[in-house]
Amino acid sequence: MRRIIAQARKELTQIVRDYRTLTLALLLPLLLLLLLGAAIALTVTDLPIVVQDLDDSPASRALIDAFRASITFHVVTLPTNWQPQDTFTSNTARAALIIPVHFERDVVRGFNTTVQLLIDGSDSNTAQLVSGDASQIVNDYNQRNAGSTRPAAVQAAMRLWYNPNRSSKKFYGPGVFVLALSMFPPLLASLAMAKEGEQMTIMQVYVSSISAHEFLLGKIFAFMIVAFAESLIMMIFLFTYFGLSLAGDPTPFLVATVLYAFCVAAFGTMIGAAIPNQAAAMQAVALGGFLLVFMLSGLIYPVDNIPPGLRWVSSIIWGRYYIEIMRDALLQGGGWPATWFKVLIIAVIGAIFYGLAWRSMRRMQVRA
Amino acid sequence: MFRVFQNVFNYRVLALIRKEFRQIRRDRLLAIWLIVPPALQLLLFGFALSATVTDLRLGIVDDSRTRESRELISDLTESRSFLASGYYASVDDLSAALSRGDLAAGVVIPYDLTRNLERGRQTTVQFLLNAMNANTAAIAQSFAQGVMQSYNAGLAGQGIHASFQQIAAPDVARRGLVQLNPAYLYNPGLVNSWFIVTGMFGLLLILNGSLVTSGSMVKERERGTIEQLLMSPASTSEIIIAKIMPLFVLLCFVAVLAVGMLKFAFGVPFRGGLLLVLGGAALCILCGISIGTVIATFSKSAQQAQLASFFVNPPLASLSGAVTPIEAMPKVLQALTIFNPIHHFVAIARASLLKGSGIGALWPNFLALGAFTAVLVTVSVWRFRRQLS
Repeated sequence: MRRIIAQARKELTQIVRDYRTLTLALLLPLLLLLLLGAAIALTVTDLPIVVQDLDDSPASRALIDAFRASITFHVVTLPTNWQPQDTFTSNTARAALIIPVHFERDVVRGFNTTVQLLIDGSDSNTAQLVSGDASQIVNDYNQRNAGSTRPAAVQAAMRLWYNPNRSSKKFYGPGVFVLALSMFPPLLASLAMAKEGEQMTIMQVYVSSISAHEFLLGKIFAFMIVAFAESLIMMIFLFTYFGLSLAGDPTPFLVATVLYAFCVAAFGTMIGAAIPNQAAAMQAVALGGFLLVFMLSGLIYPVDNIPPGLRWVSSIIWGRYYIEIMRDALLQGGGWPATWFKVLIIAVIGAIFYGLAWRSMRRMQVRA
Repeated sequence: MFRVFQNVFNYRVLALIRKEFRQIRRDRLLAIWLIVPPALQLLLFGFALSATVTDLRLGIVDDSRTRESRELISDLTESRSFLASGYYASVDDLSAALSRGDLAAGVVIPYDLTRNLERGRQTTVQFLLNAMNANTAAIAQSFAQGVMQSYNAGLAGQGIHASFQQIAAPDVARRGLVQLNPAYLYNPGLVNSWFIVTGMFGLLLILNGSLVTSGSMVKERERGTIEQLLMSPASTSEIIIAKIMPLFVLLCFVAVLAVGMLKFAFGVPFRGGLLLVLGGAALCILCGISIGTVIATFSKSAQQAQLASFFVNPPLASLSGAVTPIEAMPKVLQALTIFNPIHHFVAIARASLLKGSGIGALWPNFLALGAFTAVLVTVSVWRFRRQLS
């Protein structure tokens, strides 16, 4: 134990001495959190929509005003002799509402009238949102104008739980937190470990009385402390700027944070031990820490949507489970019954990383 | 024109280019690193990533247990959007399942549904949606509302609505309903992968281009072979042109490969000119290579170059509109995307491949991409020269 602490202290001294890396290690995650937390979202606002009003009557203008009042759309009127598709091909609008001639006449006479909504389908998710929002606006318009005589027999009351104003920031904030935590501590750990191999200081470790386990644990503890420092800084911003708060029992989240810090530190150490070349080790961390966690952990796109043949890839991505635990702790509040399994998986993956690190450490020893 | 070409590609440059090609041919690993990961990533992400909302697990509390309530439930679950995941005895059980994450949505049908329908009274059915994921919640909400609408229309068809109209005001002053008729242009089946792969295409070209370039540039310096190049009569710009050339050719090969995958693996329709996309890709590759060169000139070792890419790549990737729509970003960040070459290429690729836009609509993007390329190439030549002297 004494030797583990000594090793961890030595490692921390090395990190603190290189103050440039230290500031980067503490500031970069924060920058990433603020930037990506704001930038990643799928729900669009202020989407440019062109309106071609062939009727130009009070009724049609009232319908356009209903669209104008929505935060999803930003209405641009289009001269009637223009083709709405041209605004799609030049990327100036994403949807076009076409109100036919005699719109008001038909509505007042009591006929049902069809208005056309052309939607640019090249971004299919946005297209779905546009169509959903537009039909809600039109429903509301009908309710106001024709509704008093036509109550719907069965009404749907929507209750949005856990994130009532559908804030993207609250959903993606915890995810980016996990992404930052999956990138930077393993990056530093892999660099430190690869440096030992590159500069052959690992020899000194071999001749000293420290065992492989003590050496690895010491290193991992040092980078766990870095991870804790990073997560503390980011957590302050999650609770203030992102407006999140603990939703339920925080213990699964705390336990998972400790385990996840171990998991990523062990991942970095494993990479560093397996690839004793700093540049190549960094590339491996970039692939594992950034690309895989960014894309396949359910951070942006739901894991459920991955086709079953490929879903196993995401079930071995360690970040995925921690993201789910974070979201549960900060939004859903399911506590242990919802998360015990995920906490366990993080522990198992961490143990596997540790085991692999230990093995490649031993192999290095044999080679040296 | 030919004279200029001859001046740029004089015999010195040609010899240097031959040397670079030979180097790459010996360094098989570099060529493999350049071609295989982007191809695999495009395939993996194209097939794996999707924002489509289908099969939301729906929990049901049916307090009514009548023909009408069962009909409503089957209306909800027969679409691809909701999947009946379980029946619960009470709302408490349902909310517990929601908070465990077992369910994505829940519906609560009151005990008096049928009685109210028969008496012509309005009934409220409650939907509980797990709105953690803002996007899924928004789409699920409009799905549910759509189903309720058609359920109501069905009731009206069965004559149940007649009793409603009796209790309502007389029908004389009734205004007609406005019906929205949405049509999805360019992608009527709403295939989500088309959006993803056209975005990933640009992302991978730039990220891989810059990464490999900075790596190979730094390597030359780390080994000290750059001094030998400097001793040769070739000028710095000639050295840079020769260095860029083979990477450019290889990345162009990657681009053609990616276009092939877009066409045959993902079935992206090629509605616009292929030349437009390839021209954009070529500019995009030059941009990526110059970003890599600039990074390489600022860093002393391969390690620093990699760290710098760690710094540059995430914002470059996330502020491009390649994987998430630009319109969903805050206004300030939206303005920043015009400085992102990935954004312009992705706009070109999407508009040209999916919508058939021509150069008449896309020239601003080409202009921006060309300007970036020019600026970045100049900066990299300037940095390179300064660093050498």
